[in-house]
Amino acid sequence: MKWIYVAALLLLAASSGFSQNGGGVIRGAVRLPDGPVARATIQAKHGSSGKAFTTMSDTSGQFALRDLPEGTYEVSVPEIGLTTNRFVQRNVSVQPGKITALDIVLRKGNLGVLGDDNAYLTVRGKSANVRAAPAPRMGDGHPDLSGVWNGNVDPNPQEASLLPWANEVLNQRRATAFRDQPSGFCLPGDPTPTIPLLYRFVHTKGLLVQLFEQEPHYRQIFLDGRAHPNDADPTWMGHSVGRWERDTLVIDTTGFDDKSWLIFATGLPHTERLHMVERYRRPDLGHLVVDLTLEDPGAFVKPVERHMTWELAPGEEILESICTENNKFPENAGLK
Amino acid sequence: MTKIVPTFGLLTAVTLCAAGTARAHHSFAAEFDITKPVTLAGKVTKIEWTNPHSYLFIDVPDPKTGAVTNWEIEMGSPNGLTRLGWTRNLVKAGDAVTVEGSLGRNKPNLANARSVVMTDTGKKLGAASSEGAR
Repeated sequence: MKWIYVAALLLLAASSGFSQNGGGVIRGAVRLPDGPVARATIQAKHGSSGKAFTTMSDTSGQFALRDLPEGTYEVSVPEIGLTTNRFVQRNVSVQPGKITALDIVLRKGNLGVLGDDNAYLTVRGKSANVRAAPAPRMGDGHPDLSGVWNGNVDPNPQEASLLPWANEVLNQRRATAFRDQPSGFCLPGDPTPTIPLLYRFVHTKGLLVQLFEQEPHYRQIFLDGRAHPNDADPTWMGHSVGRWERDTLVIDTTGFDDKSWLIFATGLPHTERLHMVERYRRPDLGHLVVDLTLEDPGAFVKPVERHMTWELAPGEEILESICTENNKFPENAGLK
Repeated sequence: MTKIVPTFGLLTAVTLCAAGTARAHHSFAAEFDITKPVTLAGKVTKIEWTNPHSYLFIDVPDPKTGAVTNWEIEMGSPNGLTRLGWTRNLVKAGDAVTVEGSLGRNKPNLANARSVVMTDTGKKLGAASSEGAR
């Protein structure tokens, strides 16, 4: 069962003259039990100052964080899609002029099911081939958000602050292993753009369409200047309108029902007062920066935020996925 | 003749963080028990290439009695498997496979697949570019 085994090997190796300014170095490799992991983000947070240093692993999984002030660090690697769990190693010691060797073995997310958890890495690997180029533009000069994007999780998610009733519901959901999550019954999973799956944007002048491989499979964002309807029937995905703030598309959504579970695996409850604001920015051809704010005075003490960077997924398409075709979840979870 | 390889062992020191227990389609922990890993070797009797999950059915003989049990093995969606290079005709009825996964919680003879290997050749299926240097 080596795949589940999590190990961090810490070696302090003496070295002199390695760093230019007398700082220390954390060096090592990121891997899964079956191979190196490229383009993993490694973050080292300095214990006393709280300052964070980040780098990425190369194609062979190697990384080095250089010129680090002396002290102890918390080294972390965020989740990679559905494939790996978050890695955290505390009390990593860094000394001036010395190299701290840290080999990071990631643990597969969830149960590592073939074709589910691990397909993400394959798609992600293709994004590395996207050429560096400016973002394409629409006829009106605004960035064109079209493309198939690989969704992502927030690498530094903040704990949501919930009202007592909502906290109680969330605890109940955790205690029952999320078994009542709507998506298990082929209902819409989550109206927020926080799922590490593929999203296609089809961007036209007056309408932005989002397609994805989960119920309800599509979302319409009106860009024609219309307002939210008055007293609309509450729906799973709500009513979305978008407007530009310079090069950022700001999407405002209201009119939600209270049935969905928010932010993917977090599973937050909410009320019909939920108000979602998404800000999308395409700084270059291959990246989409997604900033999400959720307000719900009926469920949250303060707004919940998430910040993601999506990557263009060349060669990928949105494929058919009819959940009711052969959904055995209720039976296999003992709910039927 | 295929045979059953080590059976159910208990894993210790395994914790699932609450934020990591739900997946794209539904809760994993509600269906399968990560503390009960299972390795099954047998012959494929059927494949369901369906959403939201694909299933392999395999006949697994008991090493002592020879009695055959048909196991149901849950995998990812056709979309996810396709992205790993798997195709709907990659595995056929009669193929000998060895599956590693976790045991189902609520239904007998149910497991999921973390890996599927062609028993005769040792070829690991759907792993071409999913792991390693990516």
